[in-house]
Amino acid sequence: MSPAPHAQQIAGWLIRVICRRLPADVRAERCREWTAELPAILDDQSIRPSFLRTLRIFSFCVGISWTAMRLSRSARAASRHTRSAQWHTGAMRIRPPELAVRAARGLLIWLVVVAGVLGLIAVLRTHGLPRNLPVMLVLALAVGFDGFCLADIARSARVRYLRKWVWVLICLVQCPLGGIMYLSIGHIGRHPSRPGS
Amino acid sequence: MCRLIAVKLTGPLERVLRVMIADPSAPHYGYDLMKAAKLPSGTLYPMLARLQQDGLVNAEWEAPRPDAAGRPPRKYYRLTAEGLRVARLELAQAASAAPPRRAGRSAAQPAPGSTL
Repeated sequence: MSPAPHAQQIAGWLIRVICRRLPADVRAERCREWTAELPAILDDQSIRPSFLRTLRIFSFCVGISWTAMRLSRSARAASRHTRSAQWHTGAMRIRPPELAVRAARGLLIWLVVVAGVLGLIAVLRTHGLPRNLPVMLVLALAVGFDGFCLADIARSARVRYLRKWVWVLICLVQCPLGGIMYLSIGHIGRHPSRPGS
Repeated sequence: MCRLIAVKLTGPLERVLRVMIADPSAPHYGYDLMKAAKLPSGTLYPMLARLQQDGLVNAEWEAPRPDAAGRPPRKYYRLTAEGLRVARLELAQAASAAPPRRAGRSAAQPAPGSTL
């Protein structure tokens, strides 16, 4: 019995494995296309002796693997490009890495602010200043920052991810953190139509 | 719609276009093109994907045939009208840019019209 059917089965399995790397929308189609080429290679009478056809099938698979790498790379680049454009034009779409980075940056800024305020209070207390002065200072800062955030929400045409009133609520309820989160995640900026960069 | 399609005529692309332009209406499947243009699959399929993306080549599935003897349907590639136009132009330019093919490459100047 000729080894060809086994070779075809193994190569078919290889192609299925290789195709997993492809973007989901073209995966099944490419897999069918390349699997359909295998009988043509095995029936190619111009390759002699016949065991060379088996080798030809596997070199075909190597090329398929290379192709899959190229195709998935260009698909990734294209989707990165569109997602970046969507982010900068303010489309309401979650973009996990960017979102996580921005949220983490917001949290870091919040921690720095809280540490700074606590340090300020401690310094003021050691200098024996009136007790309610630091409290009033912090309140003034918080009110000013909140006012700035609310004005920004009111002024911008669109905000990201949530409705405007939800961001207003967040800014009001969680005073410094909400505003910082709005600025790092929800804020779109002054040039919402400019893509890229 | 006149879109400027950036096709850089490389050697493999030229061979594929020559094969496809020889009979523009004939459908070609992947292995057929590989054999005719003497290209490995790792060169041919990315190229076809790019040509398809640029709208120069379209692909369609073979209709199921009773005489196929259990063979899975193939995917056939064919030049589009735009592809035919671009291919003729490119090949003509390539031919005029380098007429004496065998006359020593050392004297060859950079072909001015090799890219569109």
